[in-house]
Amino acid sequence: MVEGKERLPREVVAMRVAKELPDGGFVNLGLGIPTLVSNFIPEGGVVFYHSESGVLNCGPLAEEEEQDIDLINAGGQFLQRVPGMAFFSTVDGFAMIRGGHVDVTVLGAHQVSATGDLANWMLPERGVGNIGGAMDLAAGAKQVIVAMEHTDRQDGAKIVQECTYPITGKGCVSLIVTDLAVMQPTPDGLVLREVAPGWTMEEVQELTAATLIPAPDLKEYEL
Amino acid sequence: MPQKLDELTMALRAASELRQGQVVAVGSGLPAKIAEILPAQAPVQLLSDGGALGYGPSQPDAGAGVCGPDGRPVALESGGSVVGMVDWAAMLRGGHVDVAVVQPARVTPSGDLLGWTTAATPGLFAPGRTVDLAAGGGTVIAMLPHTGSDGSANIVAESSPVADGRSCVNLIITDIAVIRVENGALVLEEVAPGWSYDEVAALTGAPLTPADDLKEISPDLEALKTARHSKVFPDGPSAIGDMPDGATVMIDGFGGPGGMAHYLLVTLRDQGTRGLTIISNTIGIARIVNFGTPAGKLAIDHSVIVDNGQVVKAIASYPVSPSMSRPSSFELAYRRGEVELELVPQGTLAERLRAGGAGIYAFYTPTGAGTLIAEGKESRVIDGKEYILEHGLKADYCLIRGHKADTLGNVVYKGTSRNFNAVMAPSAAITVVEVDEVVEPGELDPELIVTPGVYVDRIVIRPEAFSAYE
Amino acid sequence: MPQEKLYATPQAAVADIQNGSTILVAGFAGYGFAEGLLAALLEVGSNDLTLIYRAGPYAEVESGSLPAVENLVSNGQVSKLISPMPYEPGSGGVIEQQWQAGQLDIEIVPQGVLVERLRAGGAGIGGVFLPTAVGTRFETGKERRNFSDGEAVLELPLKADYAFIRVAAADTLGNAIYQGSSRNWAPIMAMAARVTIAEADRIVEPGELDPEAIISPGIFVNRIVAAR
Repeated sequence: MVEGKERLPREVVAMRVAKELPDGGFVNLGLGIPTLVSNFIPEGGVVFYHSESGVLNCGPLAEEEEQDIDLINAGGQFLQRVPGMAFFSTVDGFAMIRGGHVDVTVLGAHQVSATGDLANWMLPERGVGNIGGAMDLAAGAKQVIVAMEHTDRQDGAKIVQECTYPITGKGCVSLIVTDLAVMQPTPDGLVLREVAPGWTMEEVQELTAATLIPAPDLKEYEL
Repeated sequence: MPQKLDELTMALRAASELRQGQVVAVGSGLPAKIAEILPAQAPVQLLSDGGALGYGPSQPDAGAGVCGPDGRPVALESGGSVVGMVDWAAMLRGGHVDVAVVQPARVTPSGDLLGWTTAATPGLFAPGRTVDLAAGGGTVIAMLPHTGSDGSANIVAESSPVADGRSCVNLIITDIAVIRVENGALVLEEVAPGWSYDEVAALTGAPLTPADDLKEISPDLEALKTARHSKVFPDGPSAIGDMPDGATVMIDGFGGPGGMAHYLLVTLRDQGTRGLTIISNTIGIARIVNFGTPAGKLAIDHSVIVDNGQVVKAIASYPVSPSMSRPSSFELAYRRGEVELELVPQGTLAERLRAGGAGIYAFYTPTGAGTLIAEGKESRVIDGKEYILEHGLKADYCLIRGHKADTLGNVVYKGTSRNFNAVMAPSAAITVVEVDEVVEPGELDPELIVTPGVYVDRIVIRPEAFSAYE
Repeated sequence: MPQEKLYATPQAAVADIQNGSTILVAGFAGYGFAEGLLAALLEVGSNDLTLIYRAGPYAEVESGSLPAVENLVSNGQVSKLISPMPYEPGSGGVIEQQWQAGQLDIEIVPQGVLVERLRAGGAGIGGVFLPTAVGTRFETGKERRNFSDGEAVLELPLKADYAFIRVAAADTLGNAIYQGSSRNWAPIMAMAARVTIAEADRIVEPGELDPEAIISPGIFVNRIVAAR
């Protein structure tokens, strides 16, 4: 039984995603687990952060006493002023995204389908939602990685054969990293690449509403 | 034959058409001479595709590194700014240029023109800037010699198949005449000293009607000798008091209090204008979830006009609180059915705003293809990728938040508070900027100006005692 | 470590330019041309190139076209030019000669349309409806449509392999500022190219440029070389 079985902490999920970021690449991080990714860039590596709030080369978050309302990220968090920053308008910020200049975006999701459809902007029961920059990132970033908990709090599947929630982008997700597994959506279905230590493919499948196709080199979560 | 006008006199005559506050795009050749004869600090701004807005006569040692349309170095006037080619084109297409002055090789009674460079590159027909100037000026003035070097008429009855602009010329200024183009016909309004209607008509290759009050050309620059009008308004109520019920208003900030025109928002609430459509990235989330707000503070945001029942519709990308359990004023009004919502992805919103201000009627974007956002919109595969068609957005008013402005409306921002403000400013009929400080023209570095004064109509200083928080 | 953006010489910065590449050459009227990169390209010798640029006018020099581009054309390295004005009338020199002899293809695009097509390319826009070309020869073969604002013509995006830009200063991350008219085409061309190479009058450490003043953020600048 998978109920109550220990899953990986959010930090480990973030650490696993960090491995995927290209050295020297431009990266846009969404809220939640994605934000944590910046804490786990491998030693000696450099990643440049883009925020659609209008700043490139963002650094760490600001301490409370140095909060400046004119220096925020797209999540409304306050940033430190660091050397090498550049400010720009929103239209230029999204030109960077849509124009294919942002290498990777890491986003959270409500649902991801086996073929990489992403749903992360509206819960149907609310009837209204925020798109923000998610659709542009889904359509424009060279690579879209989803980092999230494998299921919702009631163990309901978030990884599904077909999204039932309104989608953000079609076939845009190239990798899903959760607290149980690393999966790769493909046109032929969802390939399971890695599983969390102590978990089997069957157990992960139990919590996944899409059919998992084991990769030939299926292995344990690799950090 | 009587003497013809020299180039500078022609430029003086062209400048006599200009009025306080106008933006004037000039081409190379004769139009470039206008910069040489304008009074210093004249209340108009010349726009060169060399990247200068608001410049003066050519000076070999100008030092600013900017040039006029003919490539000669010029100095920026105080309040001038450096603009890129894409800005030049956007100002023209977006209707921000009041007068365009071009030198054609040929003009016709229907107002068609053929640029001089087009005519001088047979077969290749390279127009350079001419097509953009012809299409983009509110008024198009053609400056050209009345005849070619072989004596042939430059004003001709029939248009060339390679015309650079159709039905665009409003006024023709030559070295012997001033001719108005009216409903496909030419009216001779002025002749050079010593010239008669018959003499001018004989050198004109199209029918020419004399005006009832045919005059002698006499340049008059009185209108350009007045001081430049300041755009500074005494306070919020005087700056937006004329906003009618039912107006469409752009207001921004990225969501948090940074970059939000709080003082104008409170002014708008207090004056009670109703039936508003608000175009904004967010609509009242700083107040409810402290987005971008220092802890323990309650920010003034769009909620103040929503709570006051002034808003009927929002066009936004992030309209509701990220927390379902803490709904914003707008979400509550939406649930009650009191407001409409058009949801737009953030980058599409930015691009639609840019399009509205830059004279782009519509564009194809990949964002939202295959989603709910695509419903009812044209979808099209271009180069193997799916796009949807989105249209430009414009508004009656735009309330933006700058850091500093000069009295001509040039604006600089602070940090991420630039965001949507700089994108919206060109897209409204009346753009009002709330700033911390107003300085004199020339005090802002022309390389640093983000929003040129072309896009700003009114300036209000946020009162010192005013707080963005309650 | 990430790929280093600094290159020791202009030759090194352009060495990998393949035959058949499309190159955006920023500059206007003698301002803002990356002369060092253009000269290096002559040495490297890549051919069958398409250059997109705006030449004249050159008030201060005899020639109406850009000497560095003329040299590339003379050297037989260029097969096509896309430009609103590839040379100032009456001073075409080798460009005009090769074009007349059918050795060089020239596509003329009005400059406001060209810059918007480049922006569309750089910003991931699939096409823009612009009013500019309506009623002129430049709408031939293009879709025309009526909007509430009036008639407009569909213009398609334009991208390139490389852009050569001249900047007043760049930091080592590629953030760049310009001087005066040198800004002109450069920021848009930097967006529209796969690899943008900046020839910088000054190269500085990150933090030395005012983040409010940066016109081309480093995301658009891939290589930096010091101007001679």
